[in-house]
Amino acid sequence: MTATTEAAAAQRAAGVPLLQADGVTMRFGGLTAVNNVSMTVNEGEILGLIGPNGAGKTTFFNCLTGLYKPTEGQVRLSGVELPPKPRAVVKAGMARTFQNIRLFANMTALENVMVGRYCRTSSGAITSILHGPKFRREEAETRARAQELLDFVGLHDSTEHLARNMPYGNQRRLEIARALATDPRLVLLDEPTAGMNPLETRQASDLIFKIRDTGLAVVVIEHDMRFIFNLCDRVLCLVRGETLIVGTPEEVQSDPRVIEAYLGTGLDDDDEPADGADGPGTDDTEDTP
Amino acid sequence: MDTFIQQLINGLSLGSLYALIAVGYTVVYGILQLINFAHGEVFMIGAFGALSTSLVLFRGTTALWTLPVMIIGAVIASVTTAVLMERFAYRPLRHAPRLAPLITAIGISVFLQELVRLNYNQVPFTSWNPFDLPDAKSIIPFPSIDVVTGPAIQMGGVTIQREAIFTIGALIVCSALLWWFINHTKMGHGMQAVSQDQDTARLMGINVDRIIVVAFALGAVLAAVAGVAQGLQNHNINFRMGFLAGLKAFVAAVLGGIGNVAGAVVGGLVLGVIEAMATQYIPGQFGGSPWKDVWAFVLLILVLVFRPQGLLGEKAVDRA
Amino acid sequence: MITFPPAIVAKHSAKALPMGLAGAGLLVIGSLLSWSYDSQVLGDLSIAFNPGGLQIMAIALALLAIILLLAHKGPLTSLGQWADTERGVHALADWTLIFMAVVVVTITAEAGGLINVQPGCWISLLGAVLLFLASRLLLAKKTRDLAEAVLPGWVEILAIVVIMAALLFGTAYALSLADAMVFVLFLVFVTGMAIAGTRAGLMSWLGHVSLRRKRELILAAFAVAFCFPLTQGGSDANMSIASQVLVFAAAAMGLNIVVGLAGLLDLGYIAFLGSGAYVGATLSSSGFATIGWKPPFFVVVLVAACFTATLGLIIGAPTLRVSGDYLAIVTLGFGEIFRLTMFNLDGNNGPDLTHGPNGIPAIPDLSFGSFNFGDTHVLLGVPIARFSNYYLLLLLLLAFIILVFHRLNTSRIGRGWVAIREDEKAAEAMGVNVFGLKLLAFATGAFLAGMAGAIKAHQDVSVTPDQYIFLESAFLLAAIVLGGMGTIVGVLVGAVILKLLPEKLRFFADYRLLLFGLLLVLMMRFRPEGLVASRRRQLEFHEEDEELAVRVEGDIAEEVQG
Repeated sequence: MTATTEAAAAQRAAGVPLLQADGVTMRFGGLTAVNNVSMTVNEGEILGLIGPNGAGKTTFFNCLTGLYKPTEGQVRLSGVELPPKPRAVVKAGMARTFQNIRLFANMTALENVMVGRYCRTSSGAITSILHGPKFRREEAETRARAQELLDFVGLHDSTEHLARNMPYGNQRRLEIARALATDPRLVLLDEPTAGMNPLETRQASDLIFKIRDTGLAVVVIEHDMRFIFNLCDRVLCLVRGETLIVGTPEEVQSDPRVIEAYLGTGLDDDDEPADGADGPGTDDTEDTP
Repeated sequence: MDTFIQQLINGLSLGSLYALIAVGYTVVYGILQLINFAHGEVFMIGAFGALSTSLVLFRGTTALWTLPVMIIGAVIASVTTAVLMERFAYRPLRHAPRLAPLITAIGISVFLQELVRLNYNQVPFTSWNPFDLPDAKSIIPFPSIDVVTGPAIQMGGVTIQREAIFTIGALIVCSALLWWFINHTKMGHGMQAVSQDQDTARLMGINVDRIIVVAFALGAVLAAVAGVAQGLQNHNINFRMGFLAGLKAFVAAVLGGIGNVAGAVVGGLVLGVIEAMATQYIPGQFGGSPWKDVWAFVLLILVLVFRPQGLLGEKAVDRA
Repeated sequence: MITFPPAIVAKHSAKALPMGLAGAGLLVIGSLLSWSYDSQVLGDLSIAFNPGGLQIMAIALALLAIILLLAHKGPLTSLGQWADTERGVHALADWTLIFMAVVVVTITAEAGGLINVQPGCWISLLGAVLLFLASRLLLAKKTRDLAEAVLPGWVEILAIVVIMAALLFGTAYALSLADAMVFVLFLVFVTGMAIAGTRAGLMSWLGHVSLRRKRELILAAFAVAFCFPLTQGGSDANMSIASQVLVFAAAAMGLNIVVGLAGLLDLGYIAFLGSGAYVGATLSSSGFATIGWKPPFFVVVLVAACFTATLGLIIGAPTLRVSGDYLAIVTLGFGEIFRLTMFNLDGNNGPDLTHGPNGIPAIPDLSFGSFNFGDTHVLLGVPIARFSNYYLLLLLLLAFIILVFHRLNTSRIGRGWVAIREDEKAAEAMGVNVFGLKLLAFATGAFLAGMAGAIKAHQDVSVTPDQYIFLESAFLLAAIVLGGMGTIVGVLVGAVILKLLPEKLRFFADYRLLLFGLLLVLMMRFRPEGLVASRRRQLEFHEEDEELAVRVEGDIAEEVQG
C-alpha cells in the first residue's frame, strides 16, 4: 500500500475527490491545445475521456502527469497540489500508460514491471554493493510483486520474454502491469485497446474492471465507443481542446453535439466512428497540431 | 581605452576563426544531431591543403594573387576529407545509437591527425616525397602573403594586425555568402527543411542524402578558410592545431545556440572577445595567457546551466 | 569463407575424415621436425624433435582438429552430438592455414630466402592444406542445445580450472615473448583456438557452465591472477607491464560503470584518475609534496576518492540535466581544464600546489607498518619484488571495482540504468530518478578512479600533467568499446589488448595511434557492441535485427536470473 493511505482515507471521508483538475490550459506558442478543462475523478470510478483526433486528450494526460507544465490550471490528487514533475506525480499515486507503447524493449517482461517498483523501493548504492539485509529484502519483494502483477494482467507465462518480442496485445497488458507496479491510486490509460480485436478488447475491459475492484480509479482515453460506454461510470468529451460535455454514458451518447463532433456516424452498428482511421499507428504528438 | 579596443579587435579576430569553424559543427548537428568531433581535423587539413598548394605551385612567391589559389587548395582538401568522412564513416551509422558515431568521430580525429603527422611528406609505406614537403612532425612555417601579412597598421594608440583584418573580413564575406546560400537557394532551403524534419523532407522529394553531403561540404569550406586565416595569423601550422580550435568552436556553437547558423557566428565572436578580455583583465595569478583556454570551458558549463538553448536558440518544448 | 560447391561436397564427403586426419597427422609430424635452417628466426625452430613454441602451437592445433574430427564421425561421436564439429573444424582449418602461411613467409623474409624453410615446415604446411580441404568436405550436422549439456559437477569445475590455468600460463608466455612475429603468431594461434571453440560450441557451453558455477569461476580466476607473479621466477620485468595493465583495467572498469551501464559518454575520465594521483602525491611523503599533512595510506585513498567524487558531482550536476551529446564535450573540456590547471599551479600562475609541468616526483613507496612495497618479499619460495607487490595490491583494487560494478548492475540501480538507456522519458514517467541515477554513475566512476589514481601515484613514483592527456581518455574508452560495453570480461579483454599490444608489437610503434583511430572507426562500423558483448547491448546496437532478438532472449533471461 502507498504511504499516503491514511491521508487518502481521511480525504475520502471528507468527500474530497481523488483527482481534481481545475482550469487546465496548455498553450504552445500561439496555439491552445487544451483550453480551461476541468475534470473530477472519484475513488473507484472509471472515467472515459473521448473526443475526435486532435481534441487534446493525450496533451491533457501529459498535463496531468507532469510531462508538460500547464500554462494555467492546477491538478490536485486527494486535495494535494501536484507539481509538474512526472516523478512527483508517480510518487503521489498517479500512473499512466502511453498511446504508443513505451516499454523497455530490450528488457524482459519481469524486468519491465520491476522497474515500475523503483519509486516504491529505496535501496541505495551502499546496501546494493554490500548486499545488506535491506537490499535482499527489497529485491525479493520487488521480484515477487512483479510476478504477482504479471499474473494479475494475465501474462503469467511471459515472464522471461523480451518486451520487444511479445505480441502487441501482450505488450499493452505489460505496460499496464508496469504502471500498476508503482502502487498508484489512479491509473491513466491512453488508448489501451488500440489495434485490438473484439476478444482482446473484451479482455481489456475485464482487466480494467479487475483493476477497479482492487480499489483504484481509472481514466481511459479511447475511440471505441461501445467499449467506453460498457466500461465507464462517467464520460468526458473533449473537442478542440475544450470540454463539450461530462456525464453518464447515456447522457453523452444521446447528446447530438457529441454525435456531430464525430461527424454523425451511427454508434450502434459495427462500423468504427468516422475518424476510426486512427489506430495503433498514430503517434503521441497527434494531439498537438 | 586603447587597450580595450586592442583586445576587442584581438577578440573579434580570434572569434572570427571560432565562428567559421563553429558553423560546420552547428550545421551538421542541426541535421544529424551528431557532434562531428573530427571537424577540427577538417580545419587542420584545410590549412595543410593551403600550405601544400603554396609549396607545390608557388614555392617562394608571396604575391597576393596566390592567396585565392591557396584558399581553393584548402577548400579542396577539407571538402574531400569531409565528404569521405560522411560517406564512409557516418552514413553507415545513420540509425545506430548516438554513442556509435561519437566514438567513430573520435577515431577519425585521431586517425587524421596521425595521418598528417606521419604521411604529409611521404607517401605511405614509402619515403617518396615528390614535392619536397616538410616534415609534419614539428611545426611548419606558413608562407606570408603580401598585403595580408606584414607590418601591423597603427590607428591612434591601437595596433591592428593585418591578418586580423583578413580574418574578420573573411568572416564577413563568408557569412554573407552563407546567408545568401541558406535563404536564397534551393539547396539552402532543403537544408533548412531537413534540419527541421528529415522524414517529411524526404517525403517532399528532397534528396536528404545529398543535402547531408552539402552540409558537410559547407562546413568544410568555412573551416578551410579558417585554416588559411590561422596559418596567416600564427605564421605556422601543425597537425595538432585542430584539437583545441575544434573544441572551442563547438563551445561557440553551443553558446550561440546549437543548430542555429547565425548563432554559431555570434557565439564565435562572443567567445573570442570573452577570451581576449579575460586574458587581459582578470587580475592576479589567474589572468594571462596560461589560463586562456580554460575560460571557454567554464563558459560552456555556465551556458549549459543557465541557458542551455544558447543565446539565439529557442527553448525546445519537450513533446512527449 | 571459401567453400566447395555442394555437388562436390556430396560426392567426396566420405573422404573428408581420412583426409582431415591425414592432414592433422602431417601437421604433427612436420612440427616435430626442423622448420627453419636459421635458428635465430622465430625463436629457434631449427632442431628436430625439440619443438619450439610455435611448433608446439601447431601440434596443439592439430590435436584439436583430430578431436573434432573424431567427434564428427568416429569414436568420439558422443561428444559430437553437442559440438558443431563441422563449423569448428572449418574455422580451425582456416586459422591453421593462416598460421602456417605466416610462418613460411616470416621465415623466408627474416632468414633471407625460401631455401631457409626446411622440409618439416613444408610438411606441416601440406598438412594444413589437407586439413583445410577436408574441412570443406565435411557435412553439416544438427547439434543439441548446449543449455541441456550437463556433466557431473567435478568435470565442470575441472574444466574451469584447466581453462584458467591455460589463461595463466598463456599470459605468462605471451608476456615473455620478445620477438614480435612470434607474438603475432601466438595471437593467430589463440584466435584460431578461440574461434574454433566458439564455432564448435565450446564457448557457449562454457557460458552456461559459468552461469551455473559462478562462485567457482570467480575464485578460480582470482586464484590464477594471484598466482601470476609466482610464474615469473622472481623477474620483475613483466610485472611492471602487468601492473600497468591492472591500473588501466581498473580505470576502464570504473569508466565502464559510466559508459557501459549508464550510457553516459565521458571523454575526460582520465582527469579523475589524475585527480586521485595528484591527491595521493600531494599527501605523500615526497619531498616535493606541497601540503604538510601526511595521513596513513588508507586515509589518503579515501580522501583521493572522495575529492575526485566531489569533482565528478560538480561536473555532473549541471551537465547531466541536458542532452547526452553535450556531456561528451563538457567532460572533454573538463579533462583539459584539469590538465591545464595542474600545469599552471606552479606558483606563477596560481598557488604552487602541483609544481606545474614538473609535477611531483620522488613519491616514496607505500608501506603498511613494516611491509614496504619497495622491498622484495618471499612468497612460497618465490621472490616478490616491487612491481609484483603493487600488482597484488592493484589486483585487490580491481576485484573491489568489479564487485561494485557487478552488484550495482544487478540491483534496482542497474535496472534503472538500463531503463534510462532504453527510454529516458518513459523511465522518468515510471518514477525512476533519472538525474539521480546518472549522477550516481558519474560519481561512483569518479570515486573508483580516485582510488586507482592514488595507488598509481606511488607506483609511478612521479605525477606530471602530461600523463593525463585526452588521448588517455580515448584509450580507456577504446578499451570498453573494443572489449565489450557493459561486461566485466569484455572490458578486461579490451584493457589487456590495448595495453599489451603496443608493448609487444614494437615495430608498429610509429603507427600505433593511426591504427588506434582506425580501430575505433572499424569497431563501430562492424561490431559496435565489442568483442565480448553483453547480450542486451548487442540488441541495442542492432535495433532492426528481429531474429537476433528472438535468438538472444533465452540468454538474457538466464542473465537476469543470475
